[in-house]
Amino acid sequence: MKISFVLNGKKKTTDVEPDMRVIDLLREHLHLTGTKEGCGSGECGACAILVDGESRLSCLMLAAQLEGKKITTIEGLSKGKRLHPVQKAFVENGAVQCGFCTPGMVMTSVDILSRNPDPSRDEIREGISGNLCRCTGYQKIVDAIEYAAKDKNR
Amino acid sequence: MAREVLLPRTLDDLWEIFHAEPELHLYAGGTDLLVKLRSQPPLPSGSPSPLVCLERIDGLKGIYEEDGLVCIRACTTHSEIMKDPVIRQHFPVLTKVLSLLGSPHIRNMGTIGGNICTASPAGDTLTPLYTLGASVEARSCDSGRLMPLKSFILGPGSVALQQGEILYGIWIKKDHDFNIHHFEKIGQRKALAIAIASMAALIKLSGEGTIEKIRLAWGSVAPTVAVSHTIEDALTGKPLTENVLRDAMPLVTDALSPIDDVRASAGYRRRVATNLLLRLLQYKDA
Amino acid sequence: MKRGKQVPFRIGTTTPRCDACTKVTGQEKYAADYYGDHFFWAGVKRAGTPHGKLLKVNTEDAKRLKGVVAVLTSEDVAGSNRVGIIRGDQPVLADKKICYAGDPLALVIAENKEALQAAVGFITFDHEPLPGVFDVEEALKKGAPLVHEDSPEGNLLRLVSVETGKGASAFDECDVIVEGVFQTPFQEHAYLETEAGWAYLDDSEQLVVVTTTQTPFRDRNEMAPALGIDVEKIRVIVPYLGGAFGGKDGIAIQCLLGLAALHTGGVPVKMWWGREESFLASTKRLSARMRYRLGVKRDGTFHALECRAYFDTGAYAGLGETVMTLGLEHAGSAYRIPNVSIEGSCVYTNNTVGGPFRGFGVTQVTAAMEQVIDMAAQRLSIDPLAIRRSNALEKGDKNCIGVTLTHSTGIKKCLAALSEHPLWREKEGWKMKAEQFKKRGVGIACMAHAMGYPAVVPDFANAKIEFTGEGRFRIYAGIVDMGQGNTSTYAHIAGAMLGQDTSVFELVQPDTERTLPSGSSSASRTTYVYGNALIIAVEDLKKRILDKALHLFCSAQAEELMLVPGGIRHREGKKKVSLRKVAGLFDEPERTCTAHFRSPAATEMLDRIYLGPHIIFSYAAHLSYVEIDMLTGCAEVIGYLAVTDAGNVINPQAYEQQIQGGIAQGIGFALSEDYKVANGHTDTNNLATYIIPTAMDVPDMMSVAVDNVEETGPFGMKGIGEISISGPVPAIANAVADACGIRIGRNPITAENIFQALQKQDDQEKPR
Repeated sequence: MKISFVLNGKKKTTDVEPDMRVIDLLREHLHLTGTKEGCGSGECGACAILVDGESRLSCLMLAAQLEGKKITTIEGLSKGKRLHPVQKAFVENGAVQCGFCTPGMVMTSVDILSRNPDPSRDEIREGISGNLCRCTGYQKIVDAIEYAAKDKNR
Repeated sequence: MAREVLLPRTLDDLWEIFHAEPELHLYAGGTDLLVKLRSQPPLPSGSPSPLVCLERIDGLKGIYEEDGLVCIRACTTHSEIMKDPVIRQHFPVLTKVLSLLGSPHIRNMGTIGGNICTASPAGDTLTPLYTLGASVEARSCDSGRLMPLKSFILGPGSVALQQGEILYGIWIKKDHDFNIHHFEKIGQRKALAIAIASMAALIKLSGEGTIEKIRLAWGSVAPTVAVSHTIEDALTGKPLTENVLRDAMPLVTDALSPIDDVRASAGYRRRVATNLLLRLLQYKDA
Repeated sequence: MKRGKQVPFRIGTTTPRCDACTKVTGQEKYAADYYGDHFFWAGVKRAGTPHGKLLKVNTEDAKRLKGVVAVLTSEDVAGSNRVGIIRGDQPVLADKKICYAGDPLALVIAENKEALQAAVGFITFDHEPLPGVFDVEEALKKGAPLVHEDSPEGNLLRLVSVETGKGASAFDECDVIVEGVFQTPFQEHAYLETEAGWAYLDDSEQLVVVTTTQTPFRDRNEMAPALGIDVEKIRVIVPYLGGAFGGKDGIAIQCLLGLAALHTGGVPVKMWWGREESFLASTKRLSARMRYRLGVKRDGTFHALECRAYFDTGAYAGLGETVMTLGLEHAGSAYRIPNVSIEGSCVYTNNTVGGPFRGFGVTQVTAAMEQVIDMAAQRLSIDPLAIRRSNALEKGDKNCIGVTLTHSTGIKKCLAALSEHPLWREKEGWKMKAEQFKKRGVGIACMAHAMGYPAVVPDFANAKIEFTGEGRFRIYAGIVDMGQGNTSTYAHIAGAMLGQDTSVFELVQPDTERTLPSGSSSASRTTYVYGNALIIAVEDLKKRILDKALHLFCSAQAEELMLVPGGIRHREGKKKVSLRKVAGLFDEPERTCTAHFRSPAATEMLDRIYLGPHIIFSYAAHLSYVEIDMLTGCAEVIGYLAVTDAGNVINPQAYEQQIQGGIAQGIGFALSEDYKVANGHTDTNNLATYIIPTAMDVPDMMSVAVDNVEETGPFGMKGIGEISISGPVPAIANAVADACGIRIGRNPITAENIFQALQKQDDQEKPR
């Protein structure tokens, strides 16, 4: 099945099995391995991507559902070598440890800030509550998102 | 062998698919079905039945009002419902429930129709909809029928949809005089939690603190949502006090039939669901 | 990152990690991220039944499926088919017996994932079920079914006992004796990255395995005899891991990947366990049952301790007995106790497989010890902080197994800092403010954690640093970075010594062909041992660079030159030359400096405990604010403080990352994590049923590092990768007891457990 969509700002047409999971399409066919799989069942958020600007779990979506959509993955966030403000905030605030939850966490943070530019710490915690992290205890991730919000508002 | 995935754009497209392919799996957000399919090993031969994704059917999305009723179409996502001003104003109990459902991602993907049709005893949207006296509308290519949500849910995983029918929407009466909307869920953690027990309550409380009207529903403590007119009757007309609530607690215990599972024992579920009644005391002086 | 404004690394100054940029952009390549134009998938058929005699594995139907390349059983393993670093009791593919539900029976290689999944489903096996053994004390009874018939002491893997002073007879001299039974469950590491890898035979017939492991050099030594190949013919490469916490210490996926690659005719093979398989087949923190008795003098002085512990190592030995032993070495936590009697049994069962998990046995015993202390304090009406302060260890004291502490010992400093912290001083006011149906409590706990291997196991690292032709620095890290950031800290150390910033460093992750053997990524050792080796290598390299640079600064002495970001300057003059220019003067062999460091180890009392005692410890004191919902039993951690003696902190941000992460895992262990095994089967087989904390379940944590220096540490640091995980269970249990007077004695302290204890308390208080 041929599907067409916009991937990280570029039009893309690809021929795939319609029931392939989006995460497999991204990783195995399009070689975008930044998106991670941690559970395959919607419990960890490592595979989160943006579809039309809103977070989706790419392990619970089938390729056919991408038709006509705008997809952003972690690879599409930075502009050349310039990090997205959220990525920069994650780096500087020590929000990255093993890094396996990081792509999903960053995409989710971008989603949070796009609808709430000045979230409280509690709102941030709720916003990332679908993204499990086993390394950080979340505190520095919350710090980073708070920092990114201020950075953007500055 | 790969499955076909169909994405009809209109209800008419959907009816055509129904006509051509009687064996198919419907899904909206995919947060239940795709998890289930994952645990089923693929068949080595034969063609698996197609998957029909309902997310592109505009006629199944959105919220509108008609004759004093609010209709939430089945494929409206939890996030969309939470943001809706009419829902926030008139049915805060539903907003509260949805804010505790799954996680932000699950709420962005999952739909209210999906939550209802999965008919899990722990389905979060069911208790508030029961208290709100919601009805559901099922539609097929040539007819539609309306029934109370209570009659639609038959048991765990089982709903009263017939061959060729889909859940079209949920109808809720807009004008009600409940001034307290309450929901509480006991889970193993604060997010990404499946309810061990939950309780939704709507109360019309007089200025003097008398319970003039009350609707109560418990989740995860029976094969379907637990309700009891006996309890509601026992509380109606009484002042909202600790003693009144404590007197009603044995009735709650009797109304529940929980089971043991990996999350909690039946005994705990029964007692904690009963205790949740006492939380209504917070509205005493509200 | 901050190019243009080059700030060299400084010891004690926060610097973002070197790996953060590639991770935050999705560029970092983990073991699961290897794909190729043509490769196969491998997967495993597992037993699903806990105990039985394996008669036959039926693979014919699976082999016939389209897309299946090979189906291998134990008969296809050319070597000993056994792994296990101490006992070698675990098969690569089960041959004679099934010892737990996760035992691998057959390995499938297929052209795609669909064929693989179908083929695994088509494999069946004939077996004779055997009665299983699922409880540690039952397992030790006469006539209990044996997990390994050839084990010399039956189901008892190892008995360890230590007695000091008068042992248990000293209880006669105590004024107050408190006792309790404490239990901790199996804990799943739940790293986000499940086991994964990529393997192939290269042109020289060398087996190359890129995989998720904390122990690349040790793995190679284990894989060779198990698979029947020469150790020189195996190369293990380990990218950054997506978390491990001890769960990737030892053989899990490595041999299976290697075996698969030997049967693909040269085609690379990929393996990636699903979440459920990872839960089923990876190791768990050993569950423990501990009977504790603490004898105290009227003034609060600890006088006697008795600990009887049972640790469940599950079906295979792995490192189980060392986990228990380290626990027993810490049975008395951070206190002086002159008379102790400690005994532990590490026991085989058919439950799961036990193994290392951050804390390594110390987490289990600390949970028990720190609770009996509160029980004693309560009996004597002494403040829980005061009783800890008066018994806390000091340098020169003997610890609970009688070993004299000769290194930095900062627990008293930790307790002093805790006592001055607002969270301690304002606790009574906070407790008073509980709302209707809520009760609040505050609990504290101390902990000690040994660093490095026990005395008889050489603990060394071999650092290697290269000054490249471009004038950059390449550090060859022989110790895996599983996410703790040790390799970044290597750059921090070298950068501080060489006056350089992040931009000139390259970090080579472990590769048995390129990096040097430096032991496992474990035991809170990685920065201490490799850092010490690196300092020697960097000093050597620095001298070489300055000597070479002399050629470019006519007439200068090496002492007159200094390294600055990107180059070398004369201290007084203005002249600066670039590193690249200096690098051009180097001959190839001069570019690389290596150095060996072996950690100090005990030289006395080596027979005091299995494998000998440790001598360097980090210390901590924790405090938790907990609120209990009396209607539901739910406990919520509202506030948390960790005060740590980490020696001198090199990078405060990296230090906080370790402390906060450990606390969060500890809070999970305290309140919700429970890998439940009933009759050898688990229902907690994924992230929906095994409950780790979300961002809403962990409070903002405060972390204080006390001012202390470990003289032997690189820049005075001590390892703190593990210590913080041992605090939450007792600190929270003590807070729960403080809030509502109940002590459950086992974790997780779930809402249901608290609720039942409250009911029991209610029933007892009711007049009959």
